[in-house]
Amino acid sequence: MADWQLIIIGGGLSGLAAGIRAARFGQRTLIVEQHSLPGGLNSYYLRQGHLLETGLHAMTNFAPPGLKHAPLNRLFRQLQLSRKNFNTHEQLESEVIFLGITLRFSNDLNLLIEEVAAHFPLAADRFRSLIREVDAYDPFAERPWQSARAFLRARLAEPLLEDMLLLPLMVYGNAEEDDMDIGQFAIMFRAVFLEGFFRPAGTIKNLLDMLLAQYKAFGGEIRFRAPVAHILSDGGKVQGISLQSGEELFADAVLSTAGIPGTAEMSGWPLEAARYTGKMSFMESISLVPELRLPPERSGKTIIFYSLKQRLAYHRPSGPIDPSWGVICFPDHFQGLAQSGPAQVRVTNAANYDLWRQADEAEYRRLKTDCGQQSAAAVRQILGDYSRDAVYQDSFTPLTIERFTGKCAGAVYGSPVKIKSGKTPWQNLFIAGTDQGYLGIVGSMLSGVTIVNQHLLK
Amino acid sequence: MTRDEIKYLILDIIQNIDEEAEFDDLDEDKPLRDQLDLDSMDFLDIVMELRKRHKLQIPEEDYPQLATLMSCVNYLEPKLKDA
Repeated sequence: MADWQLIIIGGGLSGLAAGIRAARFGQRTLIVEQHSLPGGLNSYYLRQGHLLETGLHAMTNFAPPGLKHAPLNRLFRQLQLSRKNFNTHEQLESEVIFLGITLRFSNDLNLLIEEVAAHFPLAADRFRSLIREVDAYDPFAERPWQSARAFLRARLAEPLLEDMLLLPLMVYGNAEEDDMDIGQFAIMFRAVFLEGFFRPAGTIKNLLDMLLAQYKAFGGEIRFRAPVAHILSDGGKVQGISLQSGEELFADAVLSTAGIPGTAEMSGWPLEAARYTGKMSFMESISLVPELRLPPERSGKTIIFYSLKQRLAYHRPSGPIDPSWGVICFPDHFQGLAQSGPAQVRVTNAANYDLWRQADEAEYRRLKTDCGQQSAAAVRQILGDYSRDAVYQDSFTPLTIERFTGKCAGAVYGSPVKIKSGKTPWQNLFIAGTDQGYLGIVGSMLSGVTIVNQHLLK
Repeated sequence: MTRDEIKYLILDIIQNIDEEAEFDDLDEDKPLRDQLDLDSMDFLDIVMELRKRHKLQIPEEDYPQLATLMSCVNYLEPKLKDA
């Protein structure tokens, strides 16, 4: 008998959710995580007495308890976690700003409908019927790639509105450049506009602690600082894994959440790595400022998506970053959160992995400083002179993302080509997480759940 | 297990799956899924819990026999008679 029935590579959200499902139904399950903390892309670190989150701006897919078919609540039932005892804070209000035109939206869809009607009166009715169409669309059916841009163009006939709607949807989940698959678009449209933003009470650490406690309560085991070297196979089956320490662990099945290229590298899966390596990576700067001084029209926002250009340039930039569009997030601006201590501002811009990779150490430091300044200058065009000097500042680059999350080329949304079935050339090796095609924190957890349900529990 | 014990077993499993499940108006002869607003993932969990708790392997072709509370009892009675 093998050591384990299931070994899961990666203690991020999809791996933890998969682990809870398997352990809940009695499978001897081991999660191996390369770092000393769980969470993957959505983790945290401590600096100067502050717990700072990586990744998380907001969770999407908000649903109050009681809406049984909402993805968030289905997820909680699948993990046997109490939704009633999971405290959440909904967003205040967010906005998309393109060259002076602003579309505000919140978790009340009517606000967005009114804003579209006010700024794009010709498209008001078309937008309402688009909402009905997306709501009825089945994004999980297997079908060939279709352009979300063509879909929007045919229905709205307003290129600017199309770009304004696509910015939040793309920047929070699109691994492709310039366009996205209509299924992915529908998932994101529902997650962001129909359901909305919220954050868990406390920090991401509370959510991760809750998941880990549930996993352990069902008998699951996890090993930290255990990077995997190889997935061991013999013919059409995998046998287990070897760790970088040389230790070998055997299992009846292996579930990898390391992405398609990462899994290929560990297993010797012969595929064209370039096709599965995403081009979209980001630089994110976190600032803690003593006091926010925002202009009245910009205050009380949760997330601001901006573009200083007429068209959305959602692709890998030619320079190290592209400050002309991005995301400004205020993690303290959620309902029911009281400001305590310095205010936090997070700014995210698209970044070019190759240019960061090529830089030597001195050049890398210089890039970090220069890009931080470029980004801050762009943000001042939106927010004005919003703060005095920051008390703390830090930034993540594509290399930071790659190092801490294992996502090849720092591509936070993984491969532009997804494998929805979760299957690999080996009958007992599966993939879950970002590269299986679900998006966001709730989505990645549902990915782990779904792959275990489909392939490992029957 | 008696028929009543099997009935409580099923209700206990459902309560475990869905903390919001309410049984006050449950009609034993009408489909559980519609009345309790369960989806296919929840339904699979009833099968999985039966396997976990009583080592019962329920083949997929028998799932329709678990549609209502009464049909569950009828289907499980011979399988759980020694439990």
